[in-house]
Amino acid sequence: MAEQRDQRPIIALAMGDPCGISPELTAKLLALEEVHAAARLLVIGDRRVLDEGAMIARVSLALETHRGEGVPPVGEKPVLIDLGNLDPRTVQRAVASPEGGRFALTNYRYALTLARDGHADAVCFTPFNKHAMRLAHPPYDDEISFSAEVVGLDGPASEFNILGDLWNARVTSHVPLSEVASLITRERVLRGLKLTDAAMRAAGFATPRIAVAGLNPHAGDGGNFGREEIDILEPVVAEAKATGIAADGPFPSDTVFLRAKSGAFDAVLTMYHDQGQIAMKLMGFERGVTLLGGFPFPICTPAHGTAYDIAGKGVAHIGATRAAVLLAAEMAKARRAGREAAA
Amino acid sequence: MALHLNDDAGPLLAVSQGDPAGIGPEITLKAWLRRDEIGAPFLVLSDPAHMKAQAARLGLRVPVQSCDASEARAVFSTALPVAPLSHEATAEPGRPDPATAPSTIESIETAVALVRGGQASAVVTNPIAKQVLYQSGFPHPGHTEFLAALSAGPGGPAPHPVMMLWCEELAVVPVTVHVPLRSVPDALTTELIVATGRIVHREMKARFGVAAPRLALTGLNPHAGESGAMGTEDLAVVAPAIGDLRREGIDAKGPFPADTLFHPAARQGYDVALAMYHDQALIPIKTIAFDRAVNVTLGLPFIRTSPDHGTAFDIAGRGVARPDSLIAALRLAARLSRAAKRAA
Repeated sequence: MAEQRDQRPIIALAMGDPCGISPELTAKLLALEEVHAAARLLVIGDRRVLDEGAMIARVSLALETHRGEGVPPVGEKPVLIDLGNLDPRTVQRAVASPEGGRFALTNYRYALTLARDGHADAVCFTPFNKHAMRLAHPPYDDEISFSAEVVGLDGPASEFNILGDLWNARVTSHVPLSEVASLITRERVLRGLKLTDAAMRAAGFATPRIAVAGLNPHAGDGGNFGREEIDILEPVVAEAKATGIAADGPFPSDTVFLRAKSGAFDAVLTMYHDQGQIAMKLMGFERGVTLLGGFPFPICTPAHGTAYDIAGKGVAHIGATRAAVLLAAEMAKARRAGREAAA
Repeated sequence: MALHLNDDAGPLLAVSQGDPAGIGPEITLKAWLRRDEIGAPFLVLSDPAHMKAQAARLGLRVPVQSCDASEARAVFSTALPVAPLSHEATAEPGRPDPATAPSTIESIETAVALVRGGQASAVVTNPIAKQVLYQSGFPHPGHTEFLAALSAGPGGPAPHPVMMLWCEELAVVPVTVHVPLRSVPDALTTELIVATGRIVHREMKARFGVAAPRLALTGLNPHAGESGAMGTEDLAVVAPAIGDLRREGIDAKGPFPADTLFHPAARQGYDVALAMYHDQALIPIKTIAFDRAVNVTLGLPFIRTSPDHGTAFDIAGRGVARPDSLIAALRLAARLSRAAKRAA
C-alpha cells in the first residue's frame, strides 16, 4: 500500500513580540493535540525564546529544530526554524524594545517569504507590539502594508475580525474620526463588500450574508442625522446585490451585531474602527481572530495584543491563538481543494 | 423641606402614552401584568377608551380604570390606572396619525405637571414619533428637548438635558447625541464635555447615590488617537476637558480607547462612561443589555426614564412587542424615586 500523503496544510507560525505573552502562547499552542491534527507547524523564531515560553506555560515541547539554510521538511513533528535571533536575557519583559521589534519582524518576514515561495500554505503569528516594530523599523505602518510589500501584493487587502462564525470587516480603519465620513465612498464600500464576499467564500461560506452598518446614529434616521445612508450606502448595497453578493442594509450599528450574532447575517461591514471593535471585543475578547484577507494565502493572528500586564505569568488564554491557527488551516485546505478542482 | 400631600403614600410614576399607534399602549399593558417586578405603582396619562380597546384587541386581561393621581395608588393593585386627557387618542396600531399629536403632547405635559406639582415622583415616557408631531407643528427637536422646555422657569433658560443609557452593568453617556457622524468632531468641544461631565457627576451623586462618582471618558479617535497619530482631538479637546473636571475635584479619567473600555474588567474602574458620540455609547450598552437598557435624562429638575427603543410601528398591535425595556425604565424610576425620598 502506498504511503498516505500528509494532507495537513503547512502553517508558518512567526513568533511575535518576545516581551509580552507571545512566547508562552507559541509554546501553549504547540502543546495542543488538535492543532497538530489540523496542520503541520513550521515555527519561526529562536529556540531560547521558545524554551522560556514553554517554561512559563509549563508545557514540554516535542519538535524538531532546524538551523541554517534551506527549508526543512515537516513531518510528524512540528519544526522550529531557529534563526538564533534573540537571546531573551537581552530584553526586558513588558517593555517594548527595538530588539523585540526586530525579532518579531524578522520572524514574520521569514514566514511570509516561505508562504510566498510555496513552502507554506498559510501564515500565523503571535501578537506583535506595534511600538516595538516601529522602534526597530520606523517606516513600519501596519501588518497589511508590511505583508503586501514582502509578498509583492498589488491588489486590495483588508483586515477581518472573526468570532466563531461571525466576520467583521471595516471600510476605514486607523484614521481620525474626522476623516471617516469623507472616506465613505461608493468605491470603498463596494470594494469592502467584494473583499468580504471573496474572503468568506475562500473560507467555505457558500453565499456569505453581509450586513452593512450605517454610518450615522440610527442609520441616519431617514436623513435626519446624515445622508450617507441614502446617498451612498443604499445604492451600493443594491449594486452589490445585483452582482450576486448577499448584502443587506444599511442597519443601525447599535443592534446590527446582535442581529448577526443571532444568525441573521454571517458578516458585518462596519464604516469605522470603533463601530466594529467595540461590539466584537464585547462579544468575545478572548476568542477573536484577525485575518488579513486579499493575499494569495491566509494570514491569521489572535485579535488581542501582547498583554504586557500579564506576560510571564502563564495565565494567557490560548483560545484566540488556537482559533487563528485552526481558521488558517481550514482556509488553506479549502484553497487547496479549490485549486485541485480547478486543475 | 417642602412636604407634599402624597409624600406618605410612596412613589408614583407618571407614564406618558407615547404615540398611541406605536407599541406604547401594548407594552404599558404588559408592564402592568408584571407590576410585581416594578417596585412602585404607575399612572398612565392617556385615553382610557384607547387603552381598553388595545387590551381587548391583544387579549390581555388588564382592567383599565379611569382615575386621577390621588386615586392611582389604590387602584394600581387591581386595575391599570389611566388619567384621561382632554384630547382623544384613538389610533389604529401601526398607522401613525397626526390627529393624535395633541393627545401625545398633552400626555407628556401632564406627566411633567404631576411630577412638578409633587403628585408623582418620576416621569416615564413611552416612545413618540417625531415626524408625526412635526406634522402638527411641534416646535421641539425631540422628546428630551421638549421636557427641558417644560422644565424652564418662567422666562428662564431651559436646562441642559443629558442622555444617559443605563443597565445594571453599565452607565454610559454620549456627549454628542443625534448628530451626523460627519459633524461630530465640530460639535465636540471642551466646554460641552466639561458641562456634560459636571451634570453627570452631580446626578450620579444626587440621584444614584454614588458618593464619589468615577467618570471614564472615551477617546474620539481609534485607540484614543495614539498620542496624536490618529487625530488630534483627544489631545486638544478631550484631555483638557478631563483636566478641567479634575481641577473641580471630579474624578474623571481618560481618554481611553473605546474598544477596550466596556468589557467587565474595565467596567470595574468607573461608575459612568462618557462616550464622545451616539454609537460609541449605544453599541456597548445594546451589546451588553439589548432589551434591558434604559434611557435616563439627567439635568432635568425631576427624574425621567424611558425605554431605549422607538415606536416600532411595524409590529404595533400584533402582540409581539416586549415590555422589558419599559419595565426596566419603570424599575429604575421607582428606585430613583425611593432614593430621592430618602435624601429629602
